[in-house]
Amino acid sequence: MLYEFRLSEIVPQMSGATIECIYAAIGDRLPMGAKLLDLSVDLSSAFAQECPPVSYYRLVLREAVFLRRFDAVPGKHYALGEQVALFSTDATETLNGPIGRPIRCTVAGIIHHEAMWSGGCVA
Amino acid sequence: MRGMNTIALRFGPLKADSYTIVRSGVRWLVEDGQPCRAGQPIGYCNISLEPTGARLKSAPTFTEEQDIQIVFAPRVSGRLAIRSDMARGGYLSTRAIDAWDPDTVVAQIMPDGPTDTGDPGRLRLMGVAGRRMTRLADIHSGLLSGWYSRSRGWWCEGNEPPITLLSMGVCDATGVILGEKCSFLDMFEATRAPTQCVFVPDHPLAPCAPILIEQIERTPAQSDAIAEDLRQFFSRPNIHPTPEDWIFAGTLLSVLRNTPLKDRLDIFSDTGTRKLAPANAVLMSLNVEPQSILRHRQLGYHVHIMRHHLAGAGPAIRAWLTSAFEPVKRSLDVIRRDYETLIDTLARTTGGRVLILNRMSTSGYEDISNYSAFDAPMSATLSNIAAKEQNLMLHDISETRNLAVIDVDALAAELGGGLHLPDGIHQSGRMQMELRQEIVHVLSDMRGLRQTTRTPARAAG
Repeated sequence: MLYEFRLSEIVPQMSGATIECIYAAIGDRLPMGAKLLDLSVDLSSAFAQECPPVSYYRLVLREAVFLRRFDAVPGKHYALGEQVALFSTDATETLNGPIGRPIRCTVAGIIHHEAMWSGGCVA
Repeated sequence: MRGMNTIALRFGPLKADSYTIVRSGVRWLVEDGQPCRAGQPIGYCNISLEPTGARLKSAPTFTEEQDIQIVFAPRVSGRLAIRSDMARGGYLSTRAIDAWDPDTVVAQIMPDGPTDTGDPGRLRLMGVAGRRMTRLADIHSGLLSGWYSRSRGWWCEGNEPPITLLSMGVCDATGVILGEKCSFLDMFEATRAPTQCVFVPDHPLAPCAPILIEQIERTPAQSDAIAEDLRQFFSRPNIHPTPEDWIFAGTLLSVLRNTPLKDRLDIFSDTGTRKLAPANAVLMSLNVEPQSILRHRQLGYHVHIMRHHLAGAGPAIRAWLTSAFEPVKRSLDVIRRDYETLIDTLARTTGGRVLILNRMSTSGYEDISNYSAFDAPMSATLSNIAAKEQNLMLHDISETRNLAVIDVDALAAELGGGLHLPDGIHQSGRMQMELRQEIVHVLSDMRGLRQTTRTPARAAG
């Protein structure tokens, strides 16, 4: 069975998100509760403000899977609806089959941290 | 009670000791024929203070502030008929041309109902003044329209001393105090009680507790050492400061020398000039307390520059911040200790009270059904849990110290965070109005007036 993660709306008015951190690599077996990535959402394009309303989120898996396709790198921007990752329930399952459903995951608001692509205090 | 005849609206008295007050033509904030509320600002003039020639008793007042304006508002609601000839146009609406005449009639108002104020024709006046970040920032486009390192607005009549509220600006503390038009108009309309609002922006230093403590305690020699360190860095052969670096450096050094929490500011009103005590109330935001801050490796002072302001720095400033500073983690205990130090220092030195806007601690945008995926302490990762712990910390502090917590968290939950605080920082106009009222209540408590006004209602109930 193939599952996917497409960037869906986390906050209204968002048009996309930027990858801040990745915690997994292609081929990894990811248990339930595994971190996949951190991302940032900048609503500046929706709200004309000098102080950009940027918020940060972590994607955590709610089911055990193998990560099979994942081209996210820190700094990469994804538009809403774009596929970010493809998973399978079997490590060697062909990726040509139909995608069963979106992966079950949790999106949590997190604090900005030094390991993020957008950097530390002087980035 | 008076009838509903048209009332002539006149400036009323305004005096500045040893100065003649000269004003520009009027710039209107309303249209002729427009209905307006009691206390709604309807126009303003630029002001110049011209020495009368008499020997001044002390140093000239307002020497720091390049822009001074007077805003006026009717005391009663009704429909306005403005005197269009008061707007002189062109430079005559920005340059002082006429001596202040208290009997000048600027408009007429047809009141909505009977008026019971003592002198409904006398306009309410608010003085506003701005200290430019640089004298080059002479922007005359409107009301408090320049780039200011400090701006303020005050209103008082007779001998009532105003209470001074200092807002150390980040977004959530800025809009509430400056208001929609960024010139204290909303605060002026929200309360008639004598008040001075002072606003210091976060350019380029975000006003977190350790920075404010250092601003209070820094000596001129320490300021000189900071400037010398930066000058030496810029003089290195491999460092080539850009115009952005010089502007940023000048702004930073200027702000590091300022002492907004200790400033004693002059005002003028209908009774003349007076010097006010340092801020009675200091409004801060919990959102500005970072969990990691930069500390200078040799000189030990802190800077906290938010990302969108760091964008104004050039490569030399960035290189200086990277090499001369080290990031220091701030745990919840450290943040608490810094707050307590600041509160105690203010209580000891100026008597000022701290008001803190707490944090929105819930979000409709997350869907955590199981917290086992997040390592302890979860407050180190999850922003809403961190916000809850920080909010609780404020309540703990308020049990032993004179701290007023402005409960953004509860208010946003009540109004609806999605509509009124979508990103947890930037409030809607409605929410700003509600927070403004909360702050006005705290100031009222500080004056001792609120208790007085509540007593009859309690007795009646």
